[in-house]
Amino acid sequence: MTSMEMAHFPILTAILMSTVVGLIVIMFIPDGRNKLIKQVSLGFSGIGLIMCLWLYHAYNVQKGGLQFVERTLWVKSLGIYWFLGVDGINLPMLLLTAVVLFTGVLTMWELENRVKEFFAFMFLLVAGVYGVFMSMDLFWIFVWYDVSLFPMYPLIAIWGGTRKEYGGMKLTLYLLAGSVLILPGIIYLWAQGGAHTFDLFELARGGFTPQVQNIAFLMLYLGFGVLAGVWPFHTWSPVGHVAAPTAVSMIHAGVLMKLGAYGILRLGMTLCPEGLVYWSDLMALLATVGIVYGAFVGLAQTDLKYVIGYSSVSHMGIVGLGLSTMTVNGINGAVFQMFAHGVMTALFFSAVGYIYDKTHTKMIPELGGLSKTMPIASAFFIIAAFAGIGVPCMASFWAELLVFISAVQTYPVRGILAVLGLVVSALFMLRVVMNTFYGEKNEQWAHIPDVPMSLAAPRIILVGVIIFFGLFPRMILDVIQSAVIPFVSSL
Amino acid sequence: MAMMKWVLFIPELYYVLVAAVFFTLSLHRKSEPRRLYMWAVILSGVGVLVAVLSARLEGMIFFDAYRVDLYSQVFKLLLALGTFWVVLTCSELEGIDSRQHAEFYLFTFVCTLGMMMLVSSVELLTIYISVELSSYCLYLLVAMRRKADEYAETGIKYFMIGATASGFMVFGISYLFGITHTTYVADLIKVLPGMMTEPAAVVGLVLALSGFFFKQALFPFHIWAPDVYQGAANQVTAYIATASKMAAAAIVIRFVGFSGGESAVFIKLLIILSILSMTFGNLVAIIQKDIKRLLAYSSIAHAGYMMIGILSMTQRGFASAIYYALAYLIMNFSCFMVILKIADDGHNLKIKELAGLHKRSPLLAMTLMLGLFGLAGIPPTVGFTGKFLVFAAALEKGYLALVIIGMINATISLYYYLIVIKAAYLLEPVNPYPPVRVDKWTRSLAIFLVIAMVYVGIFPDQFVALTEAAARSLLI
Repeated sequence: MTSMEMAHFPILTAILMSTVVGLIVIMFIPDGRNKLIKQVSLGFSGIGLIMCLWLYHAYNVQKGGLQFVERTLWVKSLGIYWFLGVDGINLPMLLLTAVVLFTGVLTMWELENRVKEFFAFMFLLVAGVYGVFMSMDLFWIFVWYDVSLFPMYPLIAIWGGTRKEYGGMKLTLYLLAGSVLILPGIIYLWAQGGAHTFDLFELARGGFTPQVQNIAFLMLYLGFGVLAGVWPFHTWSPVGHVAAPTAVSMIHAGVLMKLGAYGILRLGMTLCPEGLVYWSDLMALLATVGIVYGAFVGLAQTDLKYVIGYSSVSHMGIVGLGLSTMTVNGINGAVFQMFAHGVMTALFFSAVGYIYDKTHTKMIPELGGLSKTMPIASAFFIIAAFAGIGVPCMASFWAELLVFISAVQTYPVRGILAVLGLVVSALFMLRVVMNTFYGEKNEQWAHIPDVPMSLAAPRIILVGVIIFFGLFPRMILDVIQSAVIPFVSSL
Repeated sequence: MAMMKWVLFIPELYYVLVAAVFFTLSLHRKSEPRRLYMWAVILSGVGVLVAVLSARLEGMIFFDAYRVDLYSQVFKLLLALGTFWVVLTCSELEGIDSRQHAEFYLFTFVCTLGMMMLVSSVELLTIYISVELSSYCLYLLVAMRRKADEYAETGIKYFMIGATASGFMVFGISYLFGITHTTYVADLIKVLPGMMTEPAAVVGLVLALSGFFFKQALFPFHIWAPDVYQGAANQVTAYIATASKMAAAAIVIRFVGFSGGESAVFIKLLIILSILSMTFGNLVAIIQKDIKRLLAYSSIAHAGYMMIGILSMTQRGFASAIYYALAYLIMNFSCFMVILKIADDGHNLKIKELAGLHKRSPLLAMTLMLGLFGLAGIPPTVGFTGKFLVFAAALEKGYLALVIIGMINATISLYYYLIVIKAAYLLEPVNPYPPVRVDKWTRSLAIFLVIAMVYVGIFPDQFVALTEAAARSLLI
């Protein structure tokens, strides 16, 4: 880190501050000015999106490594640093967060109940997400991690739907139970590393004994695994998704679950490579069970949101499987899948959100034939379903392909089982599409207008992102690779 | 030279003076509550100023029985601050008969005086006298509640248990004196670590400590806490839960430091007490309906968390415990301030009475939420940073299992804090409650507390440096 690098405009802090300042501004807008609050929220999320796009453009892929670094000492006696930076792994994640926040705000344009508090909590949540993705200091990663979790409780319990209080409480307690292992894990590594720094890379350079790595990796894996929806710690996820309001489901399934996988990759695998080798078998096993289990349970669901919730469990299993292969392709695919799944789930929930707002039901048997009454709204869901199945030309196709190729090579049996799981998930997705959007037209919903342009905008953006990266996968894979290749060669 | 020495005693002398003022006022048959309140606010506010100004004093007085250093001055500042805040919330002192308001202030200030002496005392008998001075004031304050008949049990219970704890303490001190032939802390620190293999030394120290554990409400010395929290007037409860906890923490840190970390048995005992205190406090808090009782059990749990830092026996450990005390003062007072303002007629507040608070007073609702999240250890509040420091100190010594148990407890505690938050933000009141009156003092105090909770949590550097300097002066 030369002084040259330190001298640039602190773009990462600026991105983070776009949410914090947005939050503060929203709090000072008087109650009842709902329109203004929404416009301000859109403005600040737009600023964040523009900065993230610029960052993505300005990142030097040839050079690779950590760029746009900001590093200042924060707490001297413990060695905590304000240390931000981007590399090929977190850059797509930042972009994902910005896209989902922006479209999420647009999706909630028709909210009328306690608008100010809703957007304030949402910005707080996203501040935490941005913070985790860009911080390179263990203390801050944990702080932002928790900041991103606790707003979930009011967001679900106040604005949620089905069994909202139960869902909100279960989700919050589960996720914070994950930090029961993360926080001691982090401090344990700090203490074993000589108790002088929380700087991620300085700790990684110092190295740890295999025994310490085994303990610490397990703690970090299980801790972050709860949020990543690793089977058997996934049970909060469908319940929480179902209970949450649309934009919160979008952010939660689209971005927040990625925090868990990202934490495993960034903290667990970077700091404890030997621990990873030791536990990789278990990781691959749990991931495969998740893929297969999610697909089969999804088959039995009748609630649209539950279907998406279980497909998320299955898809996050693919991320876990990719990480556990410890190969360039596998990890490339896993990171790509994090991005692709994030956009895809956001689209899913966004599409269901509209249907639910208008029909007040998300039970598949009560719907049916929707493609005849609202073709555009149905199209969004069907595109998302195709993306979920992994149809070519969709971003997730490439991601799943990469993961499965390396998984079958590394773990033949589990790899093939996982591929079979994907077939089942294709089955259940198509079944849902058939029952909900085709077949007998339900006259009850005939009067409902199709999605107006203003509300279609966020969904169109998401569809655009899915197809763009499906057609030009190298636009993202080159970026991811620039970080993954050096990472794998150092394992 | 003799004059110079008195300068060291200025904060205490100031509170003697304030107590004298209120003693005189209490002799008046008719004293206007409003005027008393204004006087108390001004005088306790100046008290904070005096504590700040004397923060850098150092020296020994009273034949070396009394030591003024950064450690004691930091705690004196916390005590002055706690007292000031509590007095500030006394604008509607409905829990206490208006004829007794002057006495209320008198005993509050004398109690603060006693606790200030406690944090500076470095001689066992001086410590004992300071403890008793503050305890007797608290016994009286607790018993002062209006409708004393209903709450008579509380006062008596507190007094009986307190007296028993004092008995234990004197007994323990006698042991310590018996084996070391000294009552001076400076000599004890030199001699005692070498003797910690002797059962008598451990027993003496533990018995002496139990007197302070009583004040701190550490399991199993906690039984008074829920009843007293519930039975005392709200302002008195706030005082016991904030200011008095500071003094308890200060003396426990000093006393535990005596052993020098030499005795494995002693540390194991503290670990067990810490675990039991956290677990018991949190589990019982879940079923509470009365918010003051809930906070009483939560205080038992917090005594356990703080103990994690103390039993690390390192400078970092003591520093983290001091930081935790500071954090606890701010968070806990924030919660109590909200309770005091909502229950402005002085009744005991049920959790369900918080319903709809976010509409009745958004500012108080936010203060309460941040305070509770702080108590649960959620960042970016000061409570999280406190827990982080405490756990870091413990893990540096390798107590991994203890830290994991601590974290599990933090998650359990989140459940009942969320129930309170849910009441304030989600529930709609069954029958409309009157709007909460928030005067400008309360508003500025609430804004100050909100900012302080976040600022001290996110920018801990200078506070950590201060607490470490304080811990250093403790170990010299």
